[in-house]
Amino acid sequence: MSVEVLNVTKKFGQFTALDNVSLKVESGELVALLGPSGSGKTTLLRIIAGLEFPDPGNAQVLFYGEDVTTIPASQRKAGFAFQHYALFRHLNVFENIAFGLRVRPRPVRPNEAEIHARVEKLLKLIQMEPQARRFPSQLSGGQRQRVSLARALAVEPKVLLLDEPFGALDAKVRKELRRWLRRLHDEIHITTLFVTHDQEEALEVADRVAILRVGRIEQIGTPEEIYDNPASPFVYDFLGNVNLFSGRVRDGTVVIGDTKIAVPETAGESDSDAIAFVRPHDIRVTREPGGPATLAARVIRSNAAGPLANLELVRLDTGGQFTVQLSKEQFQQLQPKTGEPVFVELRNVKVFADDYSI
Amino acid sequence: MAKKTTSVLPGFKLTLGYTLLYLSLIVLIPLACTVWKTSTLTWDQFWHTVTAPRVMASYRLSFGASFLAALTNLFFGLLVAWVLVRYQFWGKRFVDALVDLPFALPTAVAGIALTAVYAPHGWIGRWLAPLGIQVAFTRLGVFVALTFIGLPFIVRTVQPVLEDFDLEIEESAASLGANRWQTFWRVTLPMLRPALLTGFTLAFARALGEYGSVVFISGNMPMKTEITPLLIITKLEEFDYPGATAIAVTMLVASFVLLLTINFLQWWSHRHHRPV
Repeated sequence: MSVEVLNVTKKFGQFTALDNVSLKVESGELVALLGPSGSGKTTLLRIIAGLEFPDPGNAQVLFYGEDVTTIPASQRKAGFAFQHYALFRHLNVFENIAFGLRVRPRPVRPNEAEIHARVEKLLKLIQMEPQARRFPSQLSGGQRQRVSLARALAVEPKVLLLDEPFGALDAKVRKELRRWLRRLHDEIHITTLFVTHDQEEALEVADRVAILRVGRIEQIGTPEEIYDNPASPFVYDFLGNVNLFSGRVRDGTVVIGDTKIAVPETAGESDSDAIAFVRPHDIRVTREPGGPATLAARVIRSNAAGPLANLELVRLDTGGQFTVQLSKEQFQQLQPKTGEPVFVELRNVKVFADDYSI
Repeated sequence: MAKKTTSVLPGFKLTLGYTLLYLSLIVLIPLACTVWKTSTLTWDQFWHTVTAPRVMASYRLSFGASFLAALTNLFFGLLVAWVLVRYQFWGKRFVDALVDLPFALPTAVAGIALTAVYAPHGWIGRWLAPLGIQVAFTRLGVFVALTFIGLPFIVRTVQPVLEDFDLEIEESAASLGANRWQTFWRVTLPMLRPALLTGFTLAFARALGEYGSVVFISGNMPMKTEITPLLIITKLEEFDYPGATAIAVTMLVASFVLLLTINFLQWWSHRHHRPV
C-alpha cells in the first residue's frame, strides 16, 4: 500500500528537471522532498499530482497499485496545496473548502447537509470556525495556508501534496504551522509528501526525507539516518553548517596538517587526498594542547548572541578559517578573547574523497 | 482629506485643483450649458419634446442596440482576449493590432466600409440577402456598427487581467476534481467579472454616444432606424436648440443613471477582489 513513482524523467527543453527518479511513499507516511532550487522537487510533486506529465518512456505513477500515469489532475484525487495558497478569492472560506465537493458529478455529489457537515468538521480541524464567512483577502498568511490545506483535504484525497507550504510565511508562523501540520498528520494519517528547501523543516516534520540534487534523489531515509550518515558531501553540506579540512587518508586515519584523527571507516582505503567534514558543534575548544588530535588556532571573532555562541577561528598552520559552535555554558567557562591562541579537537569527522567543492 | 497632516506625496492641492479645473472646463461647464439651454423651455414643452413618439423610438433603438452590442462584445471580446492571451499562433501580433482598429479608424470611415460590405450587393450582404437578412439600412445595421466600435473596449480591459491570471488557481481547481468547464465557469469567469463589467460599461457608453458610423449604415428612417444622437443633430440643423438640448439632457440623465448602476455593481462584485 503506497504511492509510488517509477523511472520518472522530465525535461523542459534542454533542462533536465528529473532524471530517472523512483520513489515510494508508504501509506500514512509523511515524506519531505528536500533540495535546493532547481533540484526538481516541485516538478516531482506536480507529476504525482497530475499537473505535469513525465516524459514518455517507462515512467509510472502508482496510487496504491493503480496506474495513474496518464490520468489528469482532475480525476487523480491528489490534494494539492500551493506555496501561494491559490485560494479562490471570490469565494469565502466555507465555499473555498466546499469547492471540491460541489464540483463532483451529480451521482456522487454529497447533498447540501453533508457538504455543510464535512466543511464544518474541516473548519474545526484547522481551528477556523469563526472565520468561515471571511474572504481570503481578510485572512493572514498562516490562515490562508490552513484553508488551502482544508480545501485539499475536503475531497478525501488519496495523497496530500504540499508545495513549499510554509515558504511564504514569516519565521515564527512557519514554525507554528509546521508543528501543527505534524500534529494534524498524527491525527488523520494521510499519505503526505511535502516539498521544502528548508532542512530544519524537513528534519523536524517528516517521517522520512528524500534529498534531491539536479533531478536525482541523492539519499532517502529517516531524519536521523540522513543526518548521522549522510551518503554524500552534498547531503552533509545541505543538512547544516559544515567546516571543511583538506587532508590525506592513511591507515584508517585522516591527516590534517600535523594532526592525525582516527577515522575507522576509511580503514581499507589507500593513501589518497580527502576532505574531512566537521559540524561546528562537533569541535571542542581548549587552551591546553591535547595531544596529536588537536589543531592550533586563533580566535578572530566571537558572538554569543542567541542560545549558542559562535566562534570564528583561523588555523595557525594554513590560515584556513572555520566556525565553532559552543553552548552558552561552554562559552562562559572558556571566555575566549579575540586574538587568543587556542587548541581544537575535531570530533565526528566524516571523510569524503577530494572531488567535491561547495 | 489631509488637512494638517503632511502627506508623503507632495502636490495634493495642486493636482486636485488642476483635476477640478480640467473636469470643469471639459465636462461640467459644457454639460451645465445644455441644462441651462434646456431651461428656456417650459416643463410642458420639455416633456412634449422628449416624449414625442419619434424621440421615444430613437431611445429604444439607441439604448437597445447599444446594450445588445455591448452584450455581444462581452462574449466575443472575451473570446478574442482569451485566444490572444492563452494560445500561441502565427500572426498573433497582427490579430492583436487588428483589435485596436475600431479605436483608431474615423467612425465615418467605419460606417462607409460597413455599409459597403453589408449593403444588399456588398461582399457579405449579397450572401445574406437570399436568406432574407438585410443588414444595411435596418436596425441590424445599427447593431453591427455599434458592435464594431465597442469590441476593443472589452478586449483591452480583459486582456491584461487574463495575462496576470495566476495559473495555479486553475490548477488547484483541477486538482480538486473540477473539469475544464467547471473551472472556467466557477473560477476563471468570476475572477474576470470586474474586468468584464468595466469593458461592458465602456463599450455600452461608447455605443450610446456613437454617431459617425451609424448614420451611414442605418439609413436614418424616422421611427425605425433613427438613433438619438442623430435626432439631436437634426434638431440642431432645424435651429431648434432648446429641443436638441432637451433630448441631450434626457440622454445624459439616463446614461448617468445607467453608468452609476453599473459602477455600483462593479463595486459590489469587486469587494473581495483584492489580490491574495
